Amino acid sequence: MTTPQSTAPRAKGGGLKIIRYRGVIKRFGSFTALNGVDLDVHAGEVVCLIGPSGSGKSTLLRCTNGLETIDGGDIEFEGALLPRDERVLRAMRARMGMVFQSFELFPHLTAQQNVAEGPRTVQKVSLAEANRRATAMLAKVGLADKAVNYPSALSGGQQQRVAIARALAMEPDVMLFDEPTSALDPETIGEVLNVMKALAEEGMTMVVVTHEMTFARRVGDWVAVFDTGRIVEQGPPSQIFDAPTTERTRDFLSHLGWSG
Amino acid sequence: MTLDWSVVWQHREALVAATGTTILLTIATMAIAVPCGLIVAALRLYAWAPVRTLATAYVELFRNLPLILVVFWAFYVLPIWTGLGLSPLATGLAALALNVTAYNAETFRAGLNSIRRGQVEAAMALGMSRAQALRRVIVPQALRRVLPVLASTWVSLFKDTSLVSVIAVTELAYVAMQVRAQTFRVLEMLTAMAAIYWLLGYPQAKLVDWIQRKYSVTE
Repeated sequence: MTTPQSTAPRAKGGGLKIIRYRGVIKRFGSFTALNGVDLDVHAGEVVCLIGPSGSGKSTLLRCTNGLETIDGGDIEFEGALLPRDERVLRAMRARMGMVFQSFELFPHLTAQQNVAEGPRTVQKVSLAEANRRATAMLAKVGLADKAVNYPSALSGGQQQRVAIARALAMEPDVMLFDEPTSALDPETIGEVLNVMKALAEEGMTMVVVTHEMTFARRVGDWVAVFDTGRIVEQGPPSQIFDAPTTERTRDFLSHLGWSG
Repeated sequence: MTLDWSVVWQHREALVAATGTTILLTIATMAIAVPCGLIVAALRLYAWAPVRTLATAYVELFRNLPLILVVFWAFYVLPIWTGLGLSPLATGLAALALNVTAYNAETFRAGLNSIRRGQVEAAMALGMSRAQALRRVIVPQALRRVLPVLASTWVSLFKDTSLVSVIAVTELAYVAMQVRAQTFRVLEMLTAMAAIYWLLGYPQAKLVDWIQRKYSVTE
C-alpha cells in the first residue's frame, strides 16, 4: 500500500521529527478506524488533518496522547515509542496539550483555576507559580479580564480560548487540536483561529484536525487528507488545495465547495 | 375530655435532651453515610469486579429492607456477630448508617455517572491519573449535582430516626412515648412530639428547597 507522498521538502524543523506515525492501526470492534497511517510531524510545524467525518483523523489525534490505544503499528513521540505503562504515558501526555471540540472546561472552576489546575495537580508547582502561569496564559489568549468567570458565564469562543490557555499552561512541546471550532458559532470561530495562528507563528508544533480549509491552507505547513482510515494524500497546502494528485482529494474538496 | 398541657412543660428537660439525641443521631448518621456512600459508589463503579459485586450486593440488600427491620436486626444480631455489647444509641446509629449509606451510594453513583466522559479525558489529557481526575474533576462536580438529593435524604433521615425508638434509644419519639405511658396524656404528648418534629423539620425542608434552587445545574 503506497500513499502518494509529496516530494516537496519540509520547510521547518530541520528534519527533527516530534511525532512519527508508522502503520498505525486502530479498531473499534469490527470497525477499522485507522488502517495503516504513516505521517511525520516536524518541530515547529502545523500539520492539518482534513477529510470527511468518520475518516479517522480525530482517532489518530486521540491515539497520539494515548486516550485511545492502538492495535498495530507504532507512534513515536520525541524519539520514544508511546509507552504502555500508565505512569510513563502520563508523563508523556503532560508534554502534549490537547484541545477538544466540546471545550471540556471544568465547570466547577473559574477560568483562572481551570488554567492553573494542570500545573498544580500534575506538575506539582507552587500555587503562586500555577497562578502566575494561569494569568500569563489567559492574557496570551486575550482573556485576562475573564479570570474570575466560571465557564458557564463565557461564550463558546471564550471557553475554547480558556481551554487553549489550560493546555498551554503545562508548557507542552506540541499542541493537539480536535476540531476546535466545530462547536462554535460562526462569529466566534475567528477569535479561536486567531489564537491558534498566533501560536503557530511563535513556532509551536501543532496537529490540527479541522474542517476550516482556509486555516489549513493559510496556517498549515503540511496537510494530510484522510478517507476511510487512511491518508489518501499528504503534502504542503499548495499541493493539496491547488494541485491535488488524487481523485479522492479533489472529490472531498469539491464537496466542500473548494474551488482551489 | 380535658386536656392538660402542663405535662409537656413538666417533662421539658427530658424532651429537650431527647430532641438533642434526635439531632445528634441525624448528624452522626450523615457524617458516616456521606463519606461511606461515596466510597461504596466509587467501589461499585471503578473497583475490581468481585469488590464491585460485593458493593452492589450491600446496596441492594439495605436499600430494599425496611429500616425498622434493620434496626431490630442490628439490636439482636450485631452483638452476637461482633461480641460487643453496644449501647442502644450506637446500635441505632449503626442501623441508620447502614441504611442511609446504601441510599447515598446510589445517589453518588448517579451523580458520578452523570459527569460526561469528556471531563475525564480532559483531565487525563493534562496528565492526571484516573484517581486525580476523580478527586479533582469528577467528584467535586458530582457532589454539587447530588447536593439537593442528599439534602432530601437528610430531611427523611431526621424523621426516620424515630424508628430507633423500638430499641429504646432515648431520642424524641421514645421519650415522648415513655411520658405518654407514664401519664396517660396521649393527645398532649403526641401533639407535642408532632410540633417539635415539624418545627425542626420545616426549616430543614425550606433549606433543601433553597439548596435545590441554588445548585441547579448550569453548564
